[in-house]
Amino acid sequence: MKTLAELEKGYEFPPASFDLSGEWVDGYVSAVEDGAIASLGGDLVPPMAVAALGVRALLEHAALPPGTLHAGQELAFCAPIHRGETLTAFAGVGSRGERAGWVLMGVDLRIERAGEAVMTGRGLLSFPVAEGAAA
Amino acid sequence: MTQQRTTLSAGAALPAVTKTLTQEKIAAYSDAGGDHNPLHTDAEFAAKTQFGGTIAHGMLLLAYVSEVLTAVFGRDWAASGRLKVRFRAPARPGDTVTVSGTVTAVADGRTTCDIECRNGAGELLVSGEAEVNA
Repeated sequence: MKTLAELEKGYEFPPASFDLSGEWVDGYVSAVEDGAIASLGGDLVPPMAVAALGVRALLEHAALPPGTLHAGQELAFCAPIHRGETLTAFAGVGSRGERAGWVLMGVDLRIERAGEAVMTGRGLLSFPVAEGAAA
Repeated sequence: MTQQRTTLSAGAALPAVTKTLTQEKIAAYSDAGGDHNPLHTDAEFAAKTQFGGTIAHGMLLLAYVSEVLTAVFGRDWAASGRLKVRFRAPARPGDTVTVSGTVTAVADGRTTCDIECRNGAGELLVSGEAEVNA
């Protein structure tokens, strides 16, 4: 499997579809101790769960270099998501630079439901230049 | 508990949420999120890094932030929320993490809030801004 360190600006990840199964959502809600989402009733999924599964889909294609730091995050939620839905994650390396021995990489993420965006975002990641050089 | 949007005005404090991090909770998030970066789960590896030990996932802290915003804005958060944050310092097992926020503006159908996470020592872990159509 590739690591992010091998990816240059402009790289596009293969689209990855994933299901928001009730079992997985229950596990996520338990892991993050979300006491608010249930109060909304229905089968709404925490919006951060959608982001987490989108990231998970990417990590199945390209691993994080050991010691990768999450420096910043932007997210925009466009529609409520419900349990049982199938979504597709699109992502690419939007920026890549180096500073003080560290690679700074912006990874753009767009999650769609039937061709319509339900979440977009950009994660700013950082890892030692040596990780990139070793790739 | 969902706060009605009509009660919000600039200067209002959002209801804070406090969580106590444990290595077990971090491991549970690793499994749920599929992020098995050893910095979060491998004590021996993490001990050799600049952090000297394991740290929580940034996305786990953002889940705590999102819980606060869900409690305040309900479905509006899921339908129109925007979040922009920087991770300022690591959160570690044993830390008590408190998420708090303040409404900074209510205009043109948008509510804007400053958001932050701090540990029990008051150290800033996450700072940023949230917006929602409300």
